[in-house]
Amino acid sequence: MSQFNRRRFLQTTAGVAALSTFGLPAFAQDKQIRHFWWGNPERDKRTFAAIELYNAKTPGTVVSGESLGFADYFTKLTTQIAGGNMPDVIQQGYGVLFEYIANGAVVPLDDYVGNSLDISRIDQSAIDAGTVDGKFYALSIGANSHMAIYNSRLYEEAGIRVGSNFDPYGYTYDDLKRMAVEIKDATGIPGTDDNTADYQNFSDFTVQKGANLYNEDGSYGPTQEIIEEYWSIWAAIREAGGTPPGQESAGLAGVSELSQLGVVTGKSATSFLWSNQLVGAQGLMQDTLGAAMYPNTPDMIPGSVIQPSQFVCLTRDSQDPEAATAYMSAFINDLEMTKVLGLERGIPSNSEVRAALEPDLSPAEAVSVAFFDAIQGKTAPLTAPPPSGSGEVEQTFERVAVSVLLGEKSIPEVAADFLAQANAILRRA
Amino acid sequence: MEKFFRRNFAGYSFLAPWLVGFFLLAIGPILASLYLSFTKYNVVRPPQWIGWDNYTYMVQFDARFWKALQVTFTFVAVSVPAKLVFALGVAMALDKGIRAIGWYRALFYLPSILGGSIAVAILWRQLFNYDGVINSMLRLFGTDGPYWLADPNYSLWTLIVLAVWQFGSPMLIFLAGLRAIPQELYEAAEIDAAGPVRKFFAITVPLLAPVIFFNLVLQMIEAFKSFSGAFIISGGSGAPLDSLLFFTVYLYNEAFSFLRMGYASALAWVLLLIIAGFTAIAFWTSKYWVHYENERG
Repeated sequence: MSQFNRRRFLQTTAGVAALSTFGLPAFAQDKQIRHFWWGNPERDKRTFAAIELYNAKTPGTVVSGESLGFADYFTKLTTQIAGGNMPDVIQQGYGVLFEYIANGAVVPLDDYVGNSLDISRIDQSAIDAGTVDGKFYALSIGANSHMAIYNSRLYEEAGIRVGSNFDPYGYTYDDLKRMAVEIKDATGIPGTDDNTADYQNFSDFTVQKGANLYNEDGSYGPTQEIIEEYWSIWAAIREAGGTPPGQESAGLAGVSELSQLGVVTGKSATSFLWSNQLVGAQGLMQDTLGAAMYPNTPDMIPGSVIQPSQFVCLTRDSQDPEAATAYMSAFINDLEMTKVLGLERGIPSNSEVRAALEPDLSPAEAVSVAFFDAIQGKTAPLTAPPPSGSGEVEQTFERVAVSVLLGEKSIPEVAADFLAQANAILRRA
Repeated sequence: MEKFFRRNFAGYSFLAPWLVGFFLLAIGPILASLYLSFTKYNVVRPPQWIGWDNYTYMVQFDARFWKALQVTFTFVAVSVPAKLVFALGVAMALDKGIRAIGWYRALFYLPSILGGSIAVAILWRQLFNYDGVINSMLRLFGTDGPYWLADPNYSLWTLIVLAVWQFGSPMLIFLAGLRAIPQELYEAAEIDAAGPVRKFFAITVPLLAPVIFFNLVLQMIEAFKSFSGAFIISGGSGAPLDSLLFFTVYLYNEAFSFLRMGYASALAWVLLLIIAGFTAIAFWTSKYWVHYENERG
């Protein structure tokens, strides 16, 4: 056996190092596509299964999936943009997408349409939603709307029945207050989560009052009166005992995890979310969930919109856009893959996929579909995407609303403070 | 030159991994952040030079900047002295020649090893939740605890308790310092009929002053930089009502939530100057209360 001296050691390690550098491309003859999304356990399970299906039927391409919670997703994406190593295919939401398009991080798909990318069966409305300045950027994976979900068992125990004394698609804040107290009296559990710090509900309420969240010149729409009225409505429900205590809700302000929803933790009977989250929330609990629209004022002016839940987009860092768009195409068109994905990301925008899914929907998915059928004609028109700074305004709302929940300051005071901060943010952005 | 290389090549090549890391991962980013602090930079677009604007905006218009300073100063001013007093107390108790002292030392040091971790912050959140362990114990005694984490009057205190709980490393240093105090000084004091309080203030504190000073500076810097506990417990936002808006948490938010990397860099440099300033003050005052054995009186 030859002696293993220092020189010999250096030669060997140098050789190994060289091999590993040159070796990489040899191993990577398959096209590598990275797909990154924000998710929840249910979505991750389905998406990884769909990716496996794709890899099995597409030799020569290897798709790998990466997933994070919503809170961390955009942080990671930002650092990846800075580092120039964004995944090929990323998930985007309706609000933030337009900033990424403006900044050039997301690239147009027009060159691939008709070649690697098939959008022939996608709803025109979905294509329009992903089109900016005549260029097509983003494939909608599903339609979405604001949804109230309720624990049917608790509602029944309180004697609240859909069709007799509860119209899930046309009830008012007063109705909600009455029902919430009835549920509390019958079951001991408060009837609803407290939406004082919930910006989705507040934005719906603004539209219900006939205003817009943002005026055409980009300035902030809600007035002092609207903000005060919104917080007063919820204060009345809270003071009547229809919600968990204010301090409890204060601890949940701005928290977006499904596992923290009142219906999931059992601390209330009604929670509020995006309709595509219903499947994920149902996956976390035993009792059956029902679906309703957000409450409204007696005028019944529609406040919720139907908008694309999420898009898949191609990034400027993609090395192999042909293979990436082929994968994106399969993600929205392939009947086997979309069957695995189901309605978890929203109602699919491909008519053929919708028809194929219909026969074997899970109970929660069936609730989603029924909800979407019922809200047609009861929603507001889709507004222009929010201006930059809107995300910060939303977080500011969630922050200052806590002092309403804790009763630290009067509602008019907090409303004035919020408006001042929102205007400052929009001026700075 | 050639001779220098021949003689030192081996040394520098062994140092190389560290040197490369130091210049690429420390000095480089530090200088870059100094440049970025004078720009408007949102990562996706190239930085744009705006001079002193970030700094003037901070001082003139940014209410959250002042709030973050207030929270951080409160945290430092309360947690550092509390931690040092606690550490010194435990060190003196352990200095009595107890059996199996090694085990106690390890036991008390444990929180310091765990303390900075995410897991402990999450554990802390569970402990102080309204339905958490602390309140369940209070209920056994018939009282109802407050919402420790959701109430801005209490939230910062939970973090101060978390910081004090990590008293292990100053305690070990105090313990070593106590061992170095000559026993005969205490014996002499006892002959002069000095009680324990007198002995503590006349012998222990003055002779321990260098160690106290060392711990003070170290803990102060650490407290100013404290991040993970507040980040996890407040859900990343400084909630409730910005009561946990540590300077570092605010900096993180500006950088990664709102993509104002230039502004965040400016914040980072302000924090650096604050820490440097307070360390300098500590060193300046030290000549009045810290005396080293080998210095000329």
